[in-house]
Amino acid sequence: MAVASRRIQTEVLVIGGGATGLGTVWDLALRGFDTVLVERADLIEGTSGRFHGLLHSGGRYVVKDPVAAKECVDENALLRRLMPDCIEDTGGLFVETPDDDPEYADRFLEGCRASSLPVDEISVAEALRREPRLNPKIRRAFAVPDASIDAWKTASSLARGATAEGARVLTYHRVVDLHRDDGAMTGARVRDERSGEEFDIEARFILNASGPWAAQILHMAGIEDVGVIPGKGIMIAMNHRLVNTVINRCVMPADGDILVPIRTVSVIGTTDMRAADPDELEVTQDEVDQMLEDGERLVPGFKQARALRVWAGARPLFQDARAGEVADTRDVSRTHAVVDHAARDGVKGLLTMSGGKLTTFRLMAQDLVDAMCDQLGEQRPCRTEEVKPPGNEDGEYYDVGSRLRRRERTMADDELICECELIGRKRLEEELVRRWTTNLDDIRRLLRLGMGPCQGGFCIYRATGIMHGVERLDGEQAALSLHHFLQERWKGVWPILYGDQLRQARLDDWIFQGLLDIEHLPGATA
Amino acid sequence: MNQHDVLVVGTGLAGLSAAVRLAQSGARVRVLAKGVGATHLSGGTIDVLGYTPERVERPGEALAALPSGHPYARVGAARVAAALDWFKTQFSGGYTYTGSLEENLLLPTAIGVPKPTALAPVTMAGGDLRSVTEVMAVGFRGLKDFHPALLADGLSRTLPSVTARATELHLPVERRVEFNALGLARAFDQRDFRRTVITELTSRLRPGEVVAFPAALGIASPHDVWSELEHGLGRPVFEVPTLPPSVPGMRVFAVLRDALRRAGGSLLLNNVVVGAERSNGRVSSLRVRVGLREERHGADWIVIATGGFASGGLALDSDWTARETALGLPVAGVPEPGARRFEPQYFAAHPIARAGVAVDDRLRPVGADGFENVLVVGATLAGAEPWKEKSGDGLSLSTGHMAAELVLAESGATKEAIA
Amino acid sequence: MSDDVLGTLLMRDSLDHCVKCTICETFCPVANVTPLFPGPKYAGPQSERFRVADEASPDSSLDYCSGCGICTQVCPQGVHIAEINTQARAKLREKTGHKLRDRMIARPTLTGKLGTPAAPVANWTLSNPAFRLLVEKTMDIHRSAPLPTFAGRTFQRWARKHTSPASERRVAFFHGCGTNYYEPRLGEMTVELLEHNGIKVEVPKQDCCGLPLQSNGMFKDARGYAHRLAERLAPFAREGVDIVGTSTSCTLMLKREALEILEMGDDEALLAVSSRVYDICEYLLMLHARGELKTDFAAVEETVTYHAPCQQQGHGIGKPALDLMALIPGLNVVESTASCCGIAGTYGLKREKYDIAMKVGAGLFAEIAEATPDRVVCDSETCRWQIEHATGVRSVHPVEMLHRASGLSSPW
Repeated sequence: MAVASRRIQTEVLVIGGGATGLGTVWDLALRGFDTVLVERADLIEGTSGRFHGLLHSGGRYVVKDPVAAKECVDENALLRRLMPDCIEDTGGLFVETPDDDPEYADRFLEGCRASSLPVDEISVAEALRREPRLNPKIRRAFAVPDASIDAWKTASSLARGATAEGARVLTYHRVVDLHRDDGAMTGARVRDERSGEEFDIEARFILNASGPWAAQILHMAGIEDVGVIPGKGIMIAMNHRLVNTVINRCVMPADGDILVPIRTVSVIGTTDMRAADPDELEVTQDEVDQMLEDGERLVPGFKQARALRVWAGARPLFQDARAGEVADTRDVSRTHAVVDHAARDGVKGLLTMSGGKLTTFRLMAQDLVDAMCDQLGEQRPCRTEEVKPPGNEDGEYYDVGSRLRRRERTMADDELICECELIGRKRLEEELVRRWTTNLDDIRRLLRLGMGPCQGGFCIYRATGIMHGVERLDGEQAALSLHHFLQERWKGVWPILYGDQLRQARLDDWIFQGLLDIEHLPGATA
Repeated sequence: MNQHDVLVVGTGLAGLSAAVRLAQSGARVRVLAKGVGATHLSGGTIDVLGYTPERVERPGEALAALPSGHPYARVGAARVAAALDWFKTQFSGGYTYTGSLEENLLLPTAIGVPKPTALAPVTMAGGDLRSVTEVMAVGFRGLKDFHPALLADGLSRTLPSVTARATELHLPVERRVEFNALGLARAFDQRDFRRTVITELTSRLRPGEVVAFPAALGIASPHDVWSELEHGLGRPVFEVPTLPPSVPGMRVFAVLRDALRRAGGSLLLNNVVVGAERSNGRVSSLRVRVGLREERHGADWIVIATGGFASGGLALDSDWTARETALGLPVAGVPEPGARRFEPQYFAAHPIARAGVAVDDRLRPVGADGFENVLVVGATLAGAEPWKEKSGDGLSLSTGHMAAELVLAESGATKEAIA
Repeated sequence: MSDDVLGTLLMRDSLDHCVKCTICETFCPVANVTPLFPGPKYAGPQSERFRVADEASPDSSLDYCSGCGICTQVCPQGVHIAEINTQARAKLREKTGHKLRDRMIARPTLTGKLGTPAAPVANWTLSNPAFRLLVEKTMDIHRSAPLPTFAGRTFQRWARKHTSPASERRVAFFHGCGTNYYEPRLGEMTVELLEHNGIKVEVPKQDCCGLPLQSNGMFKDARGYAHRLAERLAPFAREGVDIVGTSTSCTLMLKREALEILEMGDDEALLAVSSRVYDICEYLLMLHARGELKTDFAAVEETVTYHAPCQQQGHGIGKPALDLMALIPGLNVVESTASCCGIAGTYGLKREKYDIAMKVGAGLFAEIAEATPDRVVCDSETCRWQIEHATGVRSVHPVEMLHRASGLSSPW
C-alpha cells in the first residue's frame, strides 16, 4: 500500500464525475468555492454515460408525477438556452398505439396543461409524414419539446467550465476511505488508479454525487441503510435513425416506451429491474427480446432493423429505507432528493444527492449546493441559470450532419480512420496528445471510435497502428489494447447478435482472426 | 424459363471453383449471386488447415485426423489435393501459386503473427518464415490499412529469431491523401512508381534483408511488378495481406471470372435466390428475385455456395431462429431456443460457431427430402470454424471442386442410365 | 431479411446491411479515377446515417456520384447504394437550387421539341466550336460534350403513319426520347424486326420517363413524367400486353428505379407497367427461348465490340444481346470487359464532370482502339454517343445487327 505523500486541501470535495457531480462542481466554482471533483474512472463512465440520451420535455411524467414533470419543463427550457451545443432539437411525439388505453391521452393533455408543458396535437397523417417509419396504426399524436442530449459533450463542457473557474477535476481517482472526526467529515483518502499513489484530500464539506454508488461511498463514512436502489435499465442502440423525433408511447410510464434519435443512432429503452450492485449489471435475453417487441410496436419492421449495441445503466432511485420497501422501482419518484446526513445520521459536512434524471442535473446541483450553503450558514447565490458553460457560445443546437460537414472540408488532406463515425487522423492524433491516454476505450468514448456499425472492424487496427506509430504504445501494449477493445466491443454486442449485426461480427472475425490471426499474438487473448 | 445444366448460387471461391470446373468440362453453367463474393475480402492465399487448435505443420495429415463432423471429413485429403492442383492450373503467365498439402508455409500477417497456409502466390511465398531471418516491412503514408511497425513489432515478439524492422515511404499516389490497397496497386502497375519505390528504398535496406510490402503489388500485372521489384532491390520481396479490399483476392476473382466466361459460363449479379420449385424429389428450378420481380431459372443441378452468416447464406433472425436463406435447408448446430448462442468472452468457443448445413459424403443436405440434385459447399457447411482454424479457403475450394466432380460423374452415370 | 421496397421499407433502411466490406468502392468507376468522389460506401450507407430526413446533406462531394448503379449490383449484402445516393443528391439539389443547365438537359422532350423543327441549324450550331465555347461559359455544358444530333423528324410521326400488321401477339413499344428525336431509324428497325417475327407493334403516344430529372434531383417533376408515361402504358399492361423498350436505362426506370428511388409504390399505373416492361434484347431472347424468334439469319461478316451499359447490367438479366448476336453467323463479337463508358446519362455532359467521365471510359475506349472493330454495339443511346465521340467508331443498338441479319436492311 502506497504511503500518502501529499495532500490536497479544498473547501468542497465532490464525489462522482457524472452529470450530477459535474453540474455540482460547475455550480460551486461559479459561486466561488474552491472545489475538487474525484471520479474513479473516466467522466460519465457511470449512469450518465449509459442513459437514454433524452432531454425530457416532461410529458412522460405529467400524469404520474407532476412534480417531476414541472421540473423537466423548466430545466428543458433552461438547458436549451444554456447548453444548446450539447442538444439536438429533435422534438418529440407522444403517440397512442392500438395497444394503449385511449383514455390516457386526454389525461395526458390535461397534465401537460397543468405543468405548463407546450403540447400540440397533430394529425396522424402529419405524424406519419414527419416519421414515415412510425406505426401507421397509431390513433393520436402529440408534439412536445423533447430533445436528445449528448452526455459526453455536456460533461466535457461542464468540466472545462469548472476548471476554468479554478476547480480541479480528477478522473481515475477512486475514493478508498472517508475521514470522519466524530460528527463531522474532514476529507477523503483517494487512490490515483493510474499510478497507484494514494493521498488525502482535506475538505470542509463532502458532496456525494455518486449516483447508484452512493451507498458504497456512505459505507466508508460509517453510514448505512440509505435507500439508494440501483434500478437497472437496458437500452439498445439501433444502427441508424429509424426516426428523427423522440417517440414516446402515450401511456403511464412503462418499459420500452421511448425511442430516441441521438446522433447517428436511435435508442430504444428501457427496462426497470432492481439490481444489487451497480457494477454488476447483466443484460438478459428476456430484456433484449422485450425491447425488440416494444420497438416493433412503435416502428413496424424494428426487429428486422439492425441492432448495434446493448448496454445497461443503473438509475439511482432513492427510497429512504425507513419509509418501507418498494415493489416496483418504477413507482419510486423520479424526482430528486438531498439526503441530509446531519439530520439523519448526525454527521455534518456531508450531503448526498439521490434520485433524479440527467435532464434535471442543473437543478439537482443547485439544490445540493444550496443545502450545503444552508448548513454552512453562507448564502451565495446560484449562477448556473445565467452562465453558459464553454462551447455553447454560438447558441446553435448540435446538428447530426456536423461531422459530415467537417469531413467535406478536410477530405482532401486528412485520412479517415473511423469511417462509420467520420473520425479523421488529425483529430485522433490531437486527442492522443491532449489526453495522454493510450486506453482505446477512453478514445472510443470520447470520439465514438469504433462505435459505428462496423464495431471497430477496420478502424481499431488503424488506430492501433497510428498510436503505435507515434510511439504511444509499444508492441505489447498494442496487443493488450487490441484485446481489450475486442472484448469491450463484444460485451455490448453479443446479446443482440442477430441479423445484419451478426454478419458484421462474422466479417470482423474473418478479418481479426482469419486474416490477422490475432489470437496468436502474445498478449492479445490475455 | 431458361434452362441450364448447373446453377451455382454464390460468387465466392466455392461457387466460382465449382462453376469454372463444370464449365471447363462442357457443362452449361450459370452463376447467380446477390453481389460479388468473399474473394475480395480474404487474403488471397489458400488456407487449408492452420490450427486444430495447435498449429498445423502438415495439413494433409492433420485434416485426415479431424472428427467426422467436420466438413473436411466429407471431402478427404485426396480430393483436397486434387482441388489444390486444379486451382494452380488456373493461373499462368508468371503469377502462379506455390505450396501443397505436405507442409504449410508460414507467412506473417499484418500484425506480425506467423500464419500457416498451404498455397500462396509467388508474390507472397518469399515471406515464408521457415527460412526468412531478416525482414524490412515497408508501409506507405496514406495507406492507413497497413502499419509496417505493427508487423515488425509483432513479428519480433512472436518469432524472436527473426529480425524485423519497418519503414514508411512518403510518395504521391493518385493525388490522394489516403488510398486503399487497390489504389496502391494501380500505382504499382505504373513503371515510374516502381522505379521511385526502388530508388527510395534501396538506401534503407541492409544486406540480407527481405522486403515485405502490403498486398498491393499490382492488379493488372502483379508478376511483372513483383519481379521488377525483386530485381531492382536485389533481394526477395513479398506482399502481406491486410485489411480489405484484398488485391490478391481480386486477382483470384478476375482469373476465375474470366475462366468462366471463356468456358461459356454466365454470371448474373443482383440475382437473389429466394426459393425453389421441386418435383420428384429434385429441384426443377430456382425462384430468383431480380430487382422487384421474381424469375425462374431451371437446371438439372444446383450448387449452393452462398457462404455462412457473413454473407447472408445463413441468417439468424431476431427471434433467434437460424435459416439457410436460399432454399430453406435445415441448419444444424444451432443451440436450443433459450440457450446461449454466444459466450460473453470474445475468444471463447461460441455455441453457434459451427452452425450450418450438414451434408453427406455426396455433399447433399442431410435431413432434407426432395433436394437430391442440390449440393452444398463452402462456408454454408456445418461443423467448421474456419476463421479460427484457418481453413476457409481450403474448405471452399475443395468442396466447390468436389461438387463439380460429383456432378460430372453423376451426370455421366445418369446419361448412361438413361441410354 | 426483408427487402420489400413497395411501401414498407425505404431505400435508406437498406443501409443496415452495409458491413463496410469496401467491395463497392473497388468497383466504383468514378472513385477509381478521381479523389473528388469519396466512394459509394461513403456517400451512400455511411453518410446516410448522418442525414436527417427533409434536410439537405452537407456533403456536396455526393454530387460526383454518376448514378451508374454498379455499386448496388456488386454489393454482396443487398445495400441499395446508388439509390440512396440519388435520393440524397435530390435533397442536396433542392437546397442548392437547380441550375438552368440541369433543368434543360434533364428534359429531353423540351430540347427535342425545340431542336427538331430547325434540326439542320440546331445541329450546325451545336457543332460550332465557338458556339460551344460560349455554351460552356454560360451554361457549364462542356464544349466537347457528346451532344446528340437532331434527326429533324420524330419517330412518333412515323409511327402514327405506320400500320402494324394484325396479329394475336402484340407488344407496346416504349421508344423513349432518344429514339424519338435523335434516332428514329432505330425505332423503325425495332418495329420492323418485331413485325418480321409476327408481332403487332403498338406505339402509344408517350413522353419522357423522367429518368434524367431523377438523376438530376428534380424528383417532383420526375414523378410527374413517370406517372404520365405509366398512365399511357398501363392499359396495355393490364390487358396482358408486354411493353418493350430500346433504351435500356429507361426500361430500368420503369421496371424498378421509379418505384425505388421516387417512392412511387402506391402508383397503380406504374405498378402495372413495372411488372411487364422488358428491355428489347431481354424480350427477344425470351421469344427465342419459347421458339418464337426467327433465327434464319444471314451472315454478317464483321467484328464488333459489345459493351453492356451499366443500366443494362442493372436489369440483372445477364447480357441477352450477346446471346442474340451469337445466333448471327459470321459475326465476331468481342465482349468488352470494361464496366462503364463514363457518360452516365447527362453526367458527362457537364463541364465539371466531363473530364472525370472521359477518364472513367478510358479503359473501354482503349479496348475499342485496340480491337479495331467495324462497329461497337451497345444498348444505351447516351453510351453510344459517348463511345462514338471518344473513339470515332460507329456505335449501334443490338437491334440494328439483328435487323440486318434478318435481311430487313442493307449494309451500311
